Amino acid sequence: MKMKLFAATAVLALGLAACGGETPAPETPAPEAPVAEAPAPEPAPVATASIGETPADPVAFMKTRHDNYEDLGKNFKVMLDNSKLGTPDMAAVSAAAVKVNEYAGQMGTWFPPGTGPEAGKTKAKANVWTERADFDAKLADLQTEAAKLVTATSTDAAAFKAQFGATGGKCKACHDVYREEDKDK
Amino acid sequence: MTDDTVASTSRAPTPKQKVWDAPVRLVHWMLVFLVAFSWWTAEEGEMQWHYWSGLTIVGLLVFRVYWGFAGPETARFSRFVKGPGAILSYTAKLLKPDYRATFGHNPLGALSVIAILLALIAQVGFGLFASDTDGLESGPLSPYVSYEVSQDAGDLHEEAFNILLILIGLHIAAIVFYLVAKRINLIGPMITGSRKAEGLDGPRSGIAPVPAWRFLLGVAIAVATVFLIVWLPTTR
Ligand code: HEC
Ligand code: HEM
Ligand code: HEM
Repeated sequence: MKMKLFAATAVLALGLAACGGETPAPETPAPEAPVAEAPAPEPAPVATASIGETPADPVAFMKTRHDNYEDLGKNFKVMLDNSKLGTPDMAAVSAAAVKVNEYAGQMGTWFPPGTGPEAGKTKAKANVWTERADFDAKLADLQTEAAKLVTATSTDAAAFKAQFGATGGKCKACHDVYREEDKDK
Repeated sequence: MTDDTVASTSRAPTPKQKVWDAPVRLVHWMLVFLVAFSWWTAEEGEMQWHYWSGLTIVGLLVFRVYWGFAGPETARFSRFVKGPGAILSYTAKLLKPDYRATFGHNPLGALSVIAILLALIAQVGFGLFASDTDGLESGPLSPYVSYEVSQDAGDLHEEAFNILLILIGLHIAAIVFYLVAKRINLIGPMITGSRKAEGLDGPRSGIAPVPAWRFLLGVAIAVATVFLIVWLPTTR
């Protein structure tokens, strides 16, 4: 019966693999923004100054944004998986933390006007643009924690595990308010 | 009435017929509680509780599948899973007024039992590999699959729940149908294990006892499976 359970889950997993067709995105970050200095203890720069101009091709811009988030998610999963291990692969974890910190630094430039739900497929809610100050504050929170995460991953496993949860909480805090829960991929 | 056999059975020394053994009943009511609890914890974001509630369901399902081969006759798949012919002739009998409740699952009800068990297996199967977008919550087996697969598992986990809800709705509707339209209370026996042995289908004494070691072996397999699911990924 154990076999049965495993067989069932294996079949499910295969089915999943078959429908997870989207290929990983090439790393084409959105318009450059100052990347937060890695281990800096002071709050990382907040991209409030310029919300930016509407891009020429909003749909392509939004696709790139989505691809960037997917890559962010992949890097985050590397840490999530490792956070469950007694002895995490600290090299992999450090590399992922640097990447996450980079993305956190750029994220402020990913939401120029005209790239919201009115322009095409996105999970970003319209309030990203109407409650910008709060959105930016939540982003600043992430930038603070992501910078600490870089430091923690170059310290030791215990520091990494503690700081990983704190960082993930900032992802969630923003998603709860600004990201659509629907699965309208 | 001409039904002498029925009348004589009612004077029999054993007025009760044992239909469901304790493990089947315990698994059933734990499933009812834990499926509801899993739903509630997911809605409330109590993911630590969700995780352990789900893993307990995994153990219950492993045990129930094993019991379908090792348990008493009313628990065995080979006894209650029937072909389309038996299901049709049962349905015809069901609509007659002199219908007698089946000993164990009837051929039609068996479909629902199997469907619910499969839906539960799919539900927990997806949950084990799922991870959420915040990258905070994940099933114990998600480290074995890529980011994309575990995201899709999360989506399917959410959608499978709708299917499960439909099946549970049908299940409860069927039980209410027997109660109201056929005046047969199936719930009582699922709680106490026995029913009044009057004019019923099946052996009068009911199910035969199963050796304790078979039960203990099933519990051991269930616990070991859950333990492996939790422990193996931490050793990669
Ligand atoms: C300041 C707000 C904010 C913060 C902080 C934030 N996100 Fe997001 N995230 C969003 C928004 C808005 C979207 C939807 C973007 C879209 O669909 O265009 C999103 C989408 C995503 C997606 C894509 C989901 C999908 O549709 O498949 C992933 C993955 C993701 N975020 C991961 C993270 C992780 C990991 C962190 C923390 C390290 C994080 N995010 C922090 C706002 C945020
Ligand atoms: C989460 C909800 C539920 C699930 C997943 C569920 C699942 C099941 C399963 C798998 C069986 C087969 C038992 C076995 O052979 O091991 C069963 C039988 C049964 N269930 Fe449920 N059940 C649920 C809710 C309920 C409720 C709320 C009731 C009472 C109103 C109920 C009453 C019964 C009865 C009476 C049987 C025996 C049916 C028969 O005589 O053939 N169930 N259920
Ligand atoms: C019958 C058992 C279960 C039921 C009814 C159930 C139900 C649910 C529901 C309704 C959600 C909410 C989805 C959403 O709104 O995002 C959820 C999420 C989740 N469940 Fe379960 N679950 C079960 C078992 C499990 C198991 C065994 C695991 C793994 C240990 C698990 C892991 C998860 C995870 C990681 C999420 C978050 C995924 C996401 O947000 O996409 N679940 N579950």
